[in-house]
This record gives sequence, C-alpha cells and structure tokens, in this order.
Amino acid sequence: MAKDPLRTPFCDTMDIEFPIIAFTHCKDVVAAVVNAGGFAVLGEAMHTPEEIEADINWIRSRVGDKPFGIDLVLPASAPGAETVEDILAKIPAEQQAFADQIKAKYDVPDPKSAEALHQWGGLNQEIARAQIDVILDTKVPVFVSGLGSPAFMIPAAHERGMKVFGLVGKARQAEREIASGVDVIIAQGYDAAGHTGNIGTFSVVGEVCAVAGDVPVIAAGGITTGKHLAAAICLGAQGVWTGTQWLACRESDVDMIMKEKLTQITADDTTYSKSVSGFPMRVTKCPWTEEWASKEAPKILPSPYQMLLSSSYTQAANDHRREDLMYDAAGQGVRFVTELKPARQIVFDMVEEALDTFEGITGAEG
Amino acid sequence: MVERPKHPTIRGFDESMAGKRAECDGGGQLPGTKFGVRHEFAGVLTGDYIDHGDPPWRWYLMRDLYLKPDAWGDEEVWCESQMLWLVEE
Repeated sequence: MAKDPLRTPFCDTMDIEFPIIAFTHCKDVVAAVVNAGGFAVLGEAMHTPEEIEADINWIRSRVGDKPFGIDLVLPASAPGAETVEDILAKIPAEQQAFADQIKAKYDVPDPKSAEALHQWGGLNQEIARAQIDVILDTKVPVFVSGLGSPAFMIPAAHERGMKVFGLVGKARQAEREIASGVDVIIAQGYDAAGHTGNIGTFSVVGEVCAVAGDVPVIAAGGITTGKHLAAAICLGAQGVWTGTQWLACRESDVDMIMKEKLTQITADDTTYSKSVSGFPMRVTKCPWTEEWASKEAPKILPSPYQMLLSSSYTQAANDHRREDLMYDAAGQGVRFVTELKPARQIVFDMVEEALDTFEGITGAEG
Repeated sequence: MVERPKHPTIRGFDESMAGKRAECDGGGQLPGTKFGVRHEFAGVLTGDYIDHGDPPWRWYLMRDLYLKPDAWGDEEVWCESQMLWLVEE
C-alpha cells in the first residue's frame, strides 16, 4: 500500500491529521481548523496579557486537548524612545498635504474612533515579555515566534511541555534558531502577505530544508491550494503555513466587504507598497497605495511617519465600511480564494487536491 | 488575575563586542497594527548592552549604520543578540 504523502512526521509529532497550519487573528477560525484535523495559530501580537489568557481559555473550551498555537511578534531590533506627539510634530507639510489631497479626492471621512497608536516607539521588550509570561503560565501547546528569536524562552517552554516554532525569512536565521532548540521552523517567502523577507517561497523553503536536519520545516508564502501543499512537500517541507484563505472563510471576523473583495482578486491586485507603513508590505491595491505610486506623489516618509499618515485613512475606511477604500494584507496566492467556504471545507479541499496531485504524478493512490 | 512580576533591565558594557562590525536581521511589531515587519541593518556595535528579565534577553546597541531600511528614521538601533551576525574583519 502506498505511503500517504500528507502523513508527515510533523503530523505525528503534533498528533494532527493534516499538515496544514492556519494562521489567523480570529479564534473562531482556530477552533474550526483544529477540529477539522489541521493545526491553527492565533496571532495575538496586538493583545494584552489578559486578552491573550482569555483567548487561550476560550479556544481550550472549544477544542479540548487538541493542540493549537499562539503567535507573537518578538522584537528583533528597536529604535530609541519617542512619543506619538514627537513623531506627529515631525511629519513634513508636503506629505501631510498629499495625504489630505487623497482624503478630499476620494471623500474619505474622519475615523469614528481614535487611531490605535499607543504602543509607539521605545524598546518594547517589557510588552513582549508580559505576553510571553501568559503563554508560559497557561502552558499553551505551541508558541510561535512570528519574528525575532525565541531562544531566551525556549528552555522555559520545554520545561512546561510546550513546543516552540520559529518563523524565518533566511536560512541563517533558521540555523541560529535550530541551534537554540526550536521544535519546528517555518520558512516564509516573499509571496506572503504583509511585511515579508525578500527571498521567494520556493527558494527559501529549499534553502531552509537544506540546513534543518531533522527539524521539521513548514513552508509559508502564497500557499492557498492543495497543489501548493503538494509542491511544498516535494520541496522537503512537512507542512504548510497559510493565511490569506482564512481571512475569507465563513468563521472569519473580517468584514464581509473585504471577504468578498478577496474572492474577486488575483496576485496582480496586490501591491508591495511602502505607502502604508514606510516599509514594503504586500496588501490589496486601494486608492491610498495607488496615489502614492503616482508620479505626482511626494517621497514616502520613513517609519513611523508614513504609518501615522496612513492610519487615519485606514481607520476611516474600516470604520465607515467603504468598499472603495478598504484594503488588507493578502498573499500572492489570493487568486485561488474564490468562495466564502467554511474553514473545515477549506482544509478538506486542500487535502483532496493535494492527494489528487500526487496521484496524478505517481499514478498511485495516497 | 494573577499579579505578574516586572522584568528588571540591567545595562552593561561588553568590551569584547565594542567596535565590531555586525549585521542584524531585525524587525518587530508595527505599532498600532497586527503586522510584523522585517528590517536589515549593518553597522558597528558600541559594546553597550541591555539584559532584560530572567533568563536574560540580551540586546546590543549598533551605531554607524551603513545598511538600514530607507524608512528607518534613527541613527542607531538596538539589536536582539540572537539576530546579530558579526562580520569577519
């Protein structure tokens, strides 16, 4: 009987049925994917320790003993301290005028609420450390470091029976994290949503697999289908880390307007733009990104000034649910997100397509 | 809610690192958003460090930056020790 290509050692280690990891900011999606036999990770970087603890308890009440993960963005570099007021005072008049011009041209209203900018500037280890304390105290099954090295907390996590995953964009980061004891490495390529590294998914996954030894490697970046899953397995990965398709699943708390937009666009409708944060970031195109890409646009400001300029537009678009203005982070695999499906269906469809792909290549049933 | 301890920050100077060229695969949370962002830096370590909490989470100060993101407004950066690579002289 042929070996099931999707039954990777990662599945055995995690005691899950399918090597599919859903990354999401919605705990309902976590529960749905975990209960469908996959693995899910809740992004909690913006949350307080108290909110994280409440979310962990909520997920446990829905999934029982099944494993799941919590993701934090650990800082890896930090500027000196500066207040929001200091930063606002330094925004040049030319760029402020251009932002005002965009607001007038597209009739962008004022946000209904103040922009969330309370965590600006300064070394933020204290915030991350307080979040990690909760992760350790609650013995969440898996901690994922979405950025930055988790080395300093790995011994404490392992003492509690937890596993630690590290997400990297380069092979040298993977080597360093493996040496420090991470249990799983996630290799994320340029095809991904949001701020990514500059190496493509095929290349970075291959490079990381070459240095990972026995540590499982999970592929990330632009992965939305079963064919992508099959390709990742062929590259040497033991599973996939996915994000964009969960934004548009039925359980997701993303605004329905944005969900429908995601089902209608392709990779060409995303842009790798500095206009939102000052740093290159893959998002769906919108008037803000397109105006800043025009010949008339002034120079995009350094961070954090550009982020402060864009925050009013972003919050207004979401507060007033303006389809013509809204945007979100989306990976280059967005073309294949074509329906608002339940999370369980997405898992099963990916698995079926991957097995069909292997069968088509080898002629053997999975 | 359980009262959680604060983590002490200890500043120090590591002479063996002072003046060394290094690269940092940096980044962090973009404040006010759900997004993380990666930054690459290269420069010279001053030798100043911070140990945060116990077990210590060490950070080194880098100045004379000859590689930094266009969008980086500062002339210095604190780098997490595990994300630093010394450049062979």
